[in-house]
Amino acid sequence: MSAWFNYAAAIKILVFGLVVGAGLPALFAMGVRINAEGAGVARHGDAVAQRNRLVLAVSWLIFAMVLVAVTVGVLFVARDFIGHHAGWYILGAKHA
Amino acid sequence: MPLQLFLLLIVVITALAFDFTNGFHDTGNAMASSIATGALKPKAAVALSASLNLVGAFLSIAVAATIAKGLVDAHLVTLELVFAGLVGGIVWNLLTWLLGIPSSSSHALIGGIVGAMIAAVGGHGVIWHGLVSKVILPALLAPTIALLVATMGAWLVYRVTRRVPEKRKLQSFRYGQIGSASLISLAHGTNDAQKTMGVIFLALISYGAASSKDTMPPLWVIVSCAVAIAAGTYFGGWRVIRTMSKGLVEIESPQGMAADTSSATIILLSSHFGYALSTTHVATGSILGSGIGKPGAEVRWAVAGRMVTAWLITLPCAGIVGASTYYLVHGIGGYAGAAIGFGLLIAVATGIWLKSRQAPITHKNVTDEWQGNLTAGIEKPQQEHSASAEPIAEPVREVTP
Repeated sequence: MSAWFNYAAAIKILVFGLVVGAGLPALFAMGVRINAEGAGVARHGDAVAQRNRLVLAVSWLIFAMVLVAVTVGVLFVARDFIGHHAGWYILGAKHA
Repeated sequence: MPLQLFLLLIVVITALAFDFTNGFHDTGNAMASSIATGALKPKAAVALSASLNLVGAFLSIAVAATIAKGLVDAHLVTLELVFAGLVGGIVWNLLTWLLGIPSSSSHALIGGIVGAMIAAVGGHGVIWHGLVSKVILPALLAPTIALLVATMGAWLVYRVTRRVPEKRKLQSFRYGQIGSASLISLAHGTNDAQKTMGVIFLALISYGAASSKDTMPPLWVIVSCAVAIAAGTYFGGWRVIRTMSKGLVEIESPQGMAADTSSATIILLSSHFGYALSTTHVATGSILGSGIGKPGAEVRWAVAGRMVTAWLITLPCAGIVGASTYYLVHGIGGYAGAAIGFGLLIAVATGIWLKSRQAPITHKNVTDEWQGNLTAGIEKPQQEHSASAEPIAEPVREVTP
């Protein structure tokens, strides 16, 4: 069975896919949500919302984390190239 | 000119043509959702995607594991066979583009080469076990995994942001989308341009102009493949983009970001775990999933069904074209065989292109309201379009209003 169907890789892709692929947009969504709370525009019935700099800062921290994740993604794509030309073998780059 | 050199030239030109169709067929994988939500203007989207594909193509440092590795007996590969396989891939790519169906370019190429191999030596030249475990099963798996991940992502996104005012929400996610769509384009350039480099490299080895011990293809191969795929991407397969951005699901930017992140993640993960999944299958699965995950969204299952049917018949259909081409080219033989095969390819491509002009889809009408099928509501070419008698240059020309 396993010779025909690489189930180990399939399950890994599914699990990591759910954590990163669904987690990252969810994290970004939290950033958007907290940013709206901080800016005082989130909807909470009739309650009057106020601007809160600390909450805003938290939201920017989250956006920064998303940016880091995307940067890691780009480095991952380019890892063999970087390893080959700069000698930095990162993120599991193949040694040429 | 010796016959082998003549064949080599034809194979290289055909391979670059395939690379071009690969680019324009797959633009939608990365950019369909950004175009649908207005995160990027259609022209800006294809330009961004093309540049990243170009960069991606240069990022490869080793010869791609050739597309046919583990699928056909490499010792039996000839230049005629490679040519026939490429013709199968190109014709299928063009046909599905005409119908606006996102289908896998790699499947089309593999189908063409396998078909040509069967025509050349019979079924024993094909490694069937490899075909099932490396091509057919992943094709079932890729859209399923992508669908699950994107459904989850879209559901979470809407759940978390339900108190955020609509306008603010849509605008924020447009920014997020651009990042994830760019990542898909870059990964696409790295993977898909390599496939054609591998094919040309294989042809060079078979001709004797390169050694199988070389680790890198000659620079001109890398440059020409990178340029061909980027040009194809910029040309924009608007018909496929239209199906992916308007036909399957009405996409909002939060869904778009969920779908794109799911695609980018799965493509990168699958290459990391050494399990090649088709970008097209992943991207379409993700877009469908983002429709399921959004409460109350409409998913057009009829369009999805048509697409899945196309996926199922991609291998056999490209295979039949590949096999017929091989019979023709090999049967006639020599210069005449190759020249007639190449001439027929140009004739078929021109025919399909002329057919597409009856209801042209361009960057201007790509996101028009979906009215039941791909070309409903845009049947008639506009006057300014039909005034042009210059077919090739027409779709990329800017028409000043």
